[in-house]
Amino acid sequence: MRSVLADICLALAVLVVLASVVGLLVMRDTYQRLHFVTPVALIAPVLVGLAVLARSGWTESSFETWLALLFVMIAGPFLTHATIRAARIRETGDWRPRRERPRAGNGDQP
Amino acid sequence: MNVFVIAAIAMLAGVIPCGIVACRGTVMDAVVAYEALSAIVIMVLLLLADGFRRSGEFELAVVLAVLMLGSGLVFARFLERWL
Repeated sequence: MRSVLADICLALAVLVVLASVVGLLVMRDTYQRLHFVTPVALIAPVLVGLAVLARSGWTESSFETWLALLFVMIAGPFLTHATIRAARIRETGDWRPRRERPRAGNGDQP
Repeated sequence: MNVFVIAAIAMLAGVIPCGIVACRGTVMDAVVAYEALSAIVIMVLLLLADGFRRSGEFELAVVLAVLMLGSGLVFARFLERWL
């Protein structure tokens, strides 16, 4: 039963990763592509972690697996936010909407 | 060859589209592809370590996961203004 659960989780993880990278490949710009990093960085790690847990239980190796996957799951949203901010600054010079930007010579007043 | 190794090999196929995006897209597209690639490679390393029952190789994936956050933020920060 546990090995079947591990197999199902692994199959789902592989499907999520492959579907996401296809999305990454076919999308048109950076903003659209960034949406497809989230399943790779959030959903697939959980499935891989569950598969390892179903196979081995709570052992040293499964603890290390969850530690690594936890870092991936924390890093994913942070990196997505930082990348989208960087893309917007490269594109328009500022991450804020145009009407909310401070005017030149007017300090920080909007 | 058990199911973990097979899953790792199948997941490794996802590296190819990321490589295509990194080579053919803009610099920002390459960073996005790099982020997806890092997450995939970490999972592949974990699956291979578990598949071959080598407990020492889990540490490589842990270190790579820590470095993924730092390196991604460095890329994003530099791409904002300087690159």
